[in-house]
Amino acid sequence: MSASQSAVRSRAEAVKVSRTFDWLILFTLFFVVLGGYHIHYMLTGGDWDFWTDWKDRRLWVTVAPIVSITFPAAVQACLWWRYRLPFGAVVCVLGLLLGEWINRYLNFWGWTYFPVNFCFPSNLVPGAILLDVVLLMSNSFVATAVVGGLTYGLIFYPGNWPIIAPLHVPVEYNGMMMTIADLQGYHYVRTGTPEYIRMVEKGTLRTFGKDVAPVSAFFSGFVSILIYFLWHFFGKWFASTKFVESV
Amino acid sequence: MKIIKDKVAKLSFVALLITITAAMFYTPTASAHGEKSKAAFMRMRTIHWFDLNWSKEEVAVNDTMTISGKFFVFSGWPETVDKPEISFLNIGIPGPVFIRAGSWIGGQLVPRSVSLELGETYEFKVLLKARRPGDWHVHTMLNVKGGGPIIGPGKWVTVTGSMSDFRNPVTTLTGETVDLESYNLSNVYFWHAFWYGLGLLWVVYWARKPMFVPRSIAVEAGKADTLISPVDKKVAMAFGAGVIAIVAISMGQSNEQYPVTTPLQAGLLRGIKSIEMPATSIAVKVEDATYRVPGRAMQMTLTITNNGDSPIRLGEFNTAGVRFLDSAVAQDETGYPDDLLAEEGLTVSDNSALAPGQTRTVQVTASDAAWEVYRLADLIYDPDSRFAGLLFFYDAAGNRQLITIDAPLIPTFI
Ligand SMILES: [Cu+2]
Repeated sequence: MSASQSAVRSRAEAVKVSRTFDWLILFTLFFVVLGGYHIHYMLTGGDWDFWTDWKDRRLWVTVAPIVSITFPAAVQACLWWRYRLPFGAVVCVLGLLLGEWINRYLNFWGWTYFPVNFCFPSNLVPGAILLDVVLLMSNSFVATAVVGGLTYGLIFYPGNWPIIAPLHVPVEYNGMMMTIADLQGYHYVRTGTPEYIRMVEKGTLRTFGKDVAPVSAFFSGFVSILIYFLWHFFGKWFASTKFVESV
Repeated sequence: MKIIKDKVAKLSFVALLITITAAMFYTPTASAHGEKSKAAFMRMRTIHWFDLNWSKEEVAVNDTMTISGKFFVFSGWPETVDKPEISFLNIGIPGPVFIRAGSWIGGQLVPRSVSLELGETYEFKVLLKARRPGDWHVHTMLNVKGGGPIIGPGKWVTVTGSMSDFRNPVTTLTGETVDLESYNLSNVYFWHAFWYGLGLLWVVYWARKPMFVPRSIAVEAGKADTLISPVDKKVAMAFGAGVIAIVAISMGQSNEQYPVTTPLQAGLLRGIKSIEMPATSIAVKVEDATYRVPGRAMQMTLTITNNGDSPIRLGEFNTAGVRFLDSAVAQDETGYPDDLLAEEGLTVSDNSALAPGQTRTVQVTASDAAWEVYRLADLIYDPDSRFAGLLFFYDAAGNRQLITIDAPLIPTFI
């Protein structure tokens, strides 16, 4: 094929090439983000996301949104200000979830035989959609950080509750009360994860009694705002290094 | 354009590779075969496992077996390892090939971490239910916070049958019996698929229209605001409102369906009962101890005083789970793992019965390939080259007395 044949010669051809380009970029973006975001999330959220007996109403609720708002903020910064595309957060989260599901299904279940109902990932989609919607409606990264970030933290627990509620049903086991999730953690032996490293139900929110989940969610939302700002600037910086053009 | 397209395609391929690597990156620790790599002093001077019994060597899927025995929390616990104030009775198996149906220390169920005390002996039992067929090395194991896993002896157990027959029924406090193997699974899949689908829908809505190149040109030309139409805004509003409504409704529904839920249970279990060990009437002094590298034998000079009222003989030396026996005095009837059992491994220069009130100095040799196989001999390269172990003395009636020893060890290379 000669060079001249690949040049754009008509408008229809230009549109076609542009569309091919669209899909290639989206595909690349999806998988690059998937790889980076997945590793980042495993290193920071790790066990909280791996196991149902870590999904508590204090620390999981606090940690998961804070460490997962990172890539969405950065990718939004790039996609919105360069292309006015409002799907940065959702693309990130869909990438992450795909990677997580592959990992959980192939490694946790397929290779090590942990039941999937014990090691499924957390649901981050509701927060991501809202984050994108807020960005589109406000066209302001400050508003997205403040309103979107807070919402992202607040929606996390209710968004996951329908999935984990059945696992919080209590069981009496050999004279001790525990939840089904606790029992999963006890039954399905993890030699590398002794019980004492489990960081659940710890913290200084005792005075709030039963209503600790909303308080944790608010706290998480506030920190998510700060993390959003931080990663927004990472994203801006990354987008302005002519990364896309250099391709 | 072609070159650029090729470049993007190449980059996509690289990205795909990165992704696959990243996804394959993590598997939860499944193997417990670190027993030999753990420093010898850790195995000799922390937890001494004894009287171990694996109730079965072959077990069918859904059947249970127990591992029971005692462990002595060594009084001369090494300085470099955190004390077992927060520890967890684990089991060393390659992933959930068995489920841990129960575990007890001193009769107390220990699904959570416990506080143990130095110098105490505890009785333990772990109940395992076979889940996945295969030959598995089943180890006793205690995790100590700040000390890591302390792996005890392991024995090969064969699980027969098929994993698809495995059931794990549990009855909740609300009176429902569920199978933990599959409980809630369809609910997990449903909600994840639902939300993933909704997310995709959002992306597809925008991806239908031209994305990167034309939009970038428009933004650069200062026409960014024309890229979002009033219809787009309405769709976005609908998505936003829909998400909030779905979360609220589904949350309300699950609260209705599961009115009784409790927080995860956690916290340290204290007050674990140790067993009263009978007072010993034997005094043992280690005069010296050497390890002869070429002979794979440890030799110690012991001065033994019998302060009791019946004659006694030395039957066993146990260190790091390796048992050296004098077969004339003690035999193993529990089916202890072969590689950890030296049935004739203990030689005593004079092992005739030591009468009450008498004192005798003897040469004791513990020799077996296990010194090398289990890398116990590496002890001589440790910064604090001490060894420790348990001596078992027997009287004619079969009564047993346990004495702990702890002394420096000098290697000899000739
Ligand atoms: Cu092993």
